[in-house]
Amino acid sequence: MNPEFIRTICPYCGTGCGLVLKVEEGRAAATYPDRENPVSRGSLCVKGWFAHEFVHHPERLTSPLLRKGDRFEEISWEEAIALAAQKLKETAAKYGPDAIGGLSSAKCTNEENYLFQKLIRAAFRTNNVDHCARLCHAATTVGMLQTLGSGAMTNSISDLAGADCILFIGSNAAESHPVLMGEVYKALDRGAKMIVIDPRETPVARNAHKLLRLNPGTDIPLLAGMMRHIVDKGLHKTGFIEKRMENFEALETFLQAWPVEKAAKETGIDEAVIREVAETYARAENAAIVYCMGITQHACGAANVIAVCDLAMLCGHVGKPFSGIYPLRGQNNVQGACDMGALPNLYPGYQSVADPAIREKFQKAWKADLSDKPGRTVTELINAAGKDIRALYIMAENPCVSDPDVNHVMEALQRLDFLIVQDIFLTETAKFAHLVLPGACFAEKTGTYTNTERRFQLLHKAVDPPGKALGDFEILCLMGKALGLAFDYTSPAEVMSEYANLVPAYAGINFDRLERAGLQWPCPDEKHPGTRFLHGEKFTRGLGRFVVPDYTPPMEKPDAEYPYYLNTGRVFAHYHTGTMTRRSPFLNREIEEPYVEIHPDDANALGVGAGDWVRVSSRRGSIVTTARITDRVVKGSIFAPFHFTEARANMLTNPALDPACKTPEYKVCAVKMEKDHEAKAR
Amino acid sequence: MLDQVKQKSKEILEKKEADGVLGLKKGPWDVIHPHVFTTPAEVDSLVLEPKWLFAKMARAILREKPQAWRLAVVVRGCDERAVVELVKRNQIDRERLLTIGYACDGNQAKTCLCSRPYPRKLDAGSAVEGVDPLADERVKAYLEGDAAERMEKWAAQLKRCIKCYGCRNSCPICVCVPCKLEDDVWVERGVVPAEMVSFHLIRAFHLSDTCVACGACQEACPVGIPLMTLQLSMREALRKDYNYEAGLDANRKSPVLFDFEKEPRPGQAVPDWVDSMGKKP
Amino acid sequence: MSAEKGNVKILVFACRWCGLIGADGAGRKRIELPASYRVIPVDCAGYVEPDAVIRAFASGATGVAVLGCHVGGCRFNDANHPALKRLELLKTLLDTTGIGGKRLLLGFGTAHESHQYAEMIVDFHREVEGLPSMASWLHIAE
Repeated sequence: MNPEFIRTICPYCGTGCGLVLKVEEGRAAATYPDRENPVSRGSLCVKGWFAHEFVHHPERLTSPLLRKGDRFEEISWEEAIALAAQKLKETAAKYGPDAIGGLSSAKCTNEENYLFQKLIRAAFRTNNVDHCARLCHAATTVGMLQTLGSGAMTNSISDLAGADCILFIGSNAAESHPVLMGEVYKALDRGAKMIVIDPRETPVARNAHKLLRLNPGTDIPLLAGMMRHIVDKGLHKTGFIEKRMENFEALETFLQAWPVEKAAKETGIDEAVIREVAETYARAENAAIVYCMGITQHACGAANVIAVCDLAMLCGHVGKPFSGIYPLRGQNNVQGACDMGALPNLYPGYQSVADPAIREKFQKAWKADLSDKPGRTVTELINAAGKDIRALYIMAENPCVSDPDVNHVMEALQRLDFLIVQDIFLTETAKFAHLVLPGACFAEKTGTYTNTERRFQLLHKAVDPPGKALGDFEILCLMGKALGLAFDYTSPAEVMSEYANLVPAYAGINFDRLERAGLQWPCPDEKHPGTRFLHGEKFTRGLGRFVVPDYTPPMEKPDAEYPYYLNTGRVFAHYHTGTMTRRSPFLNREIEEPYVEIHPDDANALGVGAGDWVRVSSRRGSIVTTARITDRVVKGSIFAPFHFTEARANMLTNPALDPACKTPEYKVCAVKMEKDHEAKAR
Repeated sequence: MLDQVKQKSKEILEKKEADGVLGLKKGPWDVIHPHVFTTPAEVDSLVLEPKWLFAKMARAILREKPQAWRLAVVVRGCDERAVVELVKRNQIDRERLLTIGYACDGNQAKTCLCSRPYPRKLDAGSAVEGVDPLADERVKAYLEGDAAERMEKWAAQLKRCIKCYGCRNSCPICVCVPCKLEDDVWVERGVVPAEMVSFHLIRAFHLSDTCVACGACQEACPVGIPLMTLQLSMREALRKDYNYEAGLDANRKSPVLFDFEKEPRPGQAVPDWVDSMGKKP
Repeated sequence: MSAEKGNVKILVFACRWCGLIGADGAGRKRIELPASYRVIPVDCAGYVEPDAVIRAFASGATGVAVLGCHVGGCRFNDANHPALKRLELLKTLLDTTGIGGKRLLLGFGTAHESHQYAEMIVDFHREVEGLPSMASWLHIAE
C-alpha cells in the first residue's frame, strides 16, 4: 500500500492552520503544512507539525465502558446507547427536563456541535447546553453583543499585516496562536508599531515597541485613562461617532472619573506612557486591537471587552480593512461551537431562545417542543451537579483539569446520578463517568471547523478510529435515534445543509464550496465569497453603542497569608489539559515537567533554585511543581501553565465568576509558596 | 513541459522502471496534494505547482518499502540537489530512486532567488538563467554593512522565532535521528523564542556544506526569518575556496571532510600555520 | 551600542600536543595574563566540534580560541585539516550574523611556546574587548 496524503485542519488552536497528513497502512505517520491554506500558507507551529503523534497512542479508547464499582467494563454499543438513553430519560422524568445538562465540545466539528445542542434541546426540552467558551470568550460574546452586535473577530487574520499600530492586550499569541504572529511581524516590517499590555514579559512583549506591565486586573482603568487622554486631546473620530455610534455622552461621563493620573496610579503604569500609547493608537491610520484570555478571564471580563470595543469605536478603528478588534478564539472550533448554538441562551446563529418567533422557527424545523427558558452555563451546571442537575452528558471536555477549583469539580461530578463522558482518551473527567463512549479525533472525521476569523474549513477523514470507537457524528446519530429524534443523517454534509437553512449567515456555505477553500461567514448565498471584515456600512446591531464598562478589581488579591499573585495560561508546546500533547512524544519532551515562573528575587527569598520542587497553595488546594526562575514575571507574581495534570494549576484558581458572562477569574488569585523538601526523595 | 513530465512518468511506469511516481496530484475540486502515482492513467492528474519538495518524502517512502521497490520522483533543480546530498549520506539508495527533472521558470527563480533553477538531469522544460541571491537588496541588507548593526538586525529577526521546528522539519537534508536541536545538552528546551545562538547557529552550521538553497526553511518559517540568507555566505565560501557546490555531484563529498591534499583550495597554498588574527608565530 | 569591555570571557580549546604546552609554559613562567580566559585541554583540535564552540558562545563566552598543531604536523593523521576547514566555515557563519568571526581565534601551530601563547591571549583579549556586545543574542527568557 502506498502512502496517501490527506488535507485537513489542525486540531489545536483557533488559528486553523492547514495540514496534510501522510497516511501509511491506515496510520497517520507524518504531518506536513498545507501550502494552499490561506491562513497558514505552508507554516505550522510545533503542535501542528506533530499533530499526528497522539492519534494512534495505545491509550486511545476503543470500546464503550461501563463503570462497575472501581473498574470499567467493556460493553457493546447497543448496550451503551440504550443505557444512556434510558438513564437520561429516567432522570428527566423523575426530576424534570432541566435536571439534564450537556457540555458540548469546542474540539468537535460544527456538525457535531449542531447535533449535540439539537439533541439536548429537542429530546429533553431544556436549554442546559454549553461548552468551554464559557471559560474563555463568553466575555467576548456578551461584551461585543452589547457594543457591536456580534461577538466575532471583526476582521481577518491577514488584515493584521496592514495595520499601522497593533495593540496587544492580554494575549501571548507567540505561544498560543503562533502562526498568526507572522502577519503581525509583516506589519512591523512595514513600520507598524506594536504595543503590548501584559503583566508578563511574554515573547510577544519582547518584540514590542512598548510594554505596559500593568497591575493584574486593571485593564479598565488603563483603557479608560487612554480614552480620557484621547478625548481630551480631541483625537477621537467625531465624524464616525456622530454617524455610526450612540450613547457617547455616557462614555464621556464615565471618562470624567478616570483622569490619566488616576489610571496611572491604579495600573502602576507611568502617566506619560499611557498618554503616548493612547496617541499612537488614536493617530494611526489603521489600528488593530488583539486580545485574548488576559482580559476575558477576569471578574469583569465582559466589561474589559466592552472597554476594548469602546476604545476601538472611539477612534474609528472598526469596520474597515487592516483595523478592527481581534479576539483570538482558543480552541480549534470554539468559534464554531458558539456559532452552532452550543450555548444556553442562543440557538445556532446567535438567535435567542427567549424570542418566541425564533423558537417557533426551530420548533418547526426540529419537529419538537423547545424550552423558552435560557439554560445553565458550564460553571453553573457543575456547581449544581447533584442538586438541580442530576445527569450530565459531556462530549470531549475535561473540566477536572480545565475548570477553576478542580477539587470542587471532582466532588460535584461524583454527586451526579449519571455521568456520560464521550472522549478519545480516558481523561481525568472520564474517570468519574458512569458510562464512557469512545469518540474520534480530528484525523478520523470529515466535517468543518470554524477558525477565529469566522472561516469554515473542511476536514477530511484520513484514518479510521481505533477498535470500536466511532466518530462523534455517528455516536450522536445513534443517541438521537435512541431518544426518539429523526437523526437519520447520512453524512455531515447533510447536517450542514440543515443548519445553513436555519441561519442566514451560513446559507451560502456547503461542503462542495469548502472543498476548494474555506469561507468566512456571513455568507448569505452560494455566490457570496464570504466576508472579510464586519461592520463596514453599519454595525451588526445598527449603530455601534458606547457602553460604560463596570470595573471590578480582582476578587482575591494577595494578603499576608497568601502573598503572591497567581496568573495562569498557556505555553507553546502543550495544549490546554494536555490530553493530546502530553501523549505526543516530541511535544512532551520539549516541556516534560510542570513548572511555575518565579521572579529571581522571590526565588532567592524562598531559597529556591532553578528546577527545585515548590509547593504552591491557595485557599482551594495545593500542588507541587518545579520552579523556573525568570524575570518574565514581576516580583510578587507567579505564572503557572495549566496543561499539567500532575500539578493542576486549576487546583489553585478561584471559581469566582464574572456575573455578566459566568467566566471564571483564572488570571488572578492569591497563593503562597514554599520549597518542597519531601519531593526531593521522589 | 507538464506534458513532458507526464509522458516520462507514464513511460517509467509502463516499462516498470519504478513502482511508483511521487509528485503532485490535482484531485476533485482542484485540490492539490502529494501522491504516489502507480498507473499511467492516474498520471493525467499530475501537476507541477505549487512548490512542494519531495526529496525527504521520497527517502521516507523508500524506507518503508522492501528493497526491490523503486520510486521515481518529479523534481525541480533544488529537489534534485537535495536528493544528491541524501545519496551522498547514504540516506537514499541511488539504485532505487529515479528522478524526473523539470526546469523552473524565471518568475520562480526570482521568487526563490535561485541561482540554478533546473536539475542537472533535465527531462522537461528548458533551463533559464538563475538569479544571484547575493545581488538581492534584501539579502544584502542581512549580509553586508556594519557588523554591529547587522548583528542587531539578525537578533531582532531571530527573537521572533516561535520554535516550531518548521525549518528543521521541512529541510530535505535534516534527517538525523536523534537531532541535536532536541538535546537539552546543546539547546535549551521549552522556551520561546528558541535559544538564538544554539538553536539557530547549530542548525545553520550543520547545513554549512550541505545546504542546497531550496528555501524550504524560509518558506516554512511562520514569522518570515530570512533563514536561507543565513547559509549563503558559507555556500559562497565553499564555491570560492574549493569550487564546490552542494548537490551537484553525488561522487564528490564535502571538501571540509578531507585533508588539503585530497581537497585543496585551488590557487591557494596549503597553509603551514594559521593564526586568524594574522600574526606570525 | 556598548562594547564587550569588561565582559571578555574567552574559552580556549588547546590541543595538548602544542597549544596546551604553550599555555602550561606561560603559567609556569608566571607570565602576566588577563584573567579572562579558561583552558580546556583536548587531544586534538579535530576533537573540537563546532557545536561546542557555538555552545560556548550560547553560554556566555565572548571569545573562543581553538589551538592546534601546524597544519602539516597533526599527531593524528592530518585531523587538523578538516578541523581548520570547518572552523573557518564557522567563522564565516559568525561573520554573516554580525557576531563576528573575529570572536573565533584559530591558532594552528602558532602558540606552542609560552611567549607566543601569552602574546596571543593578550592580543585576543584586546580584540574581543573592542567588539560590540552580543548581549541581544543572549537576551532570552532565563
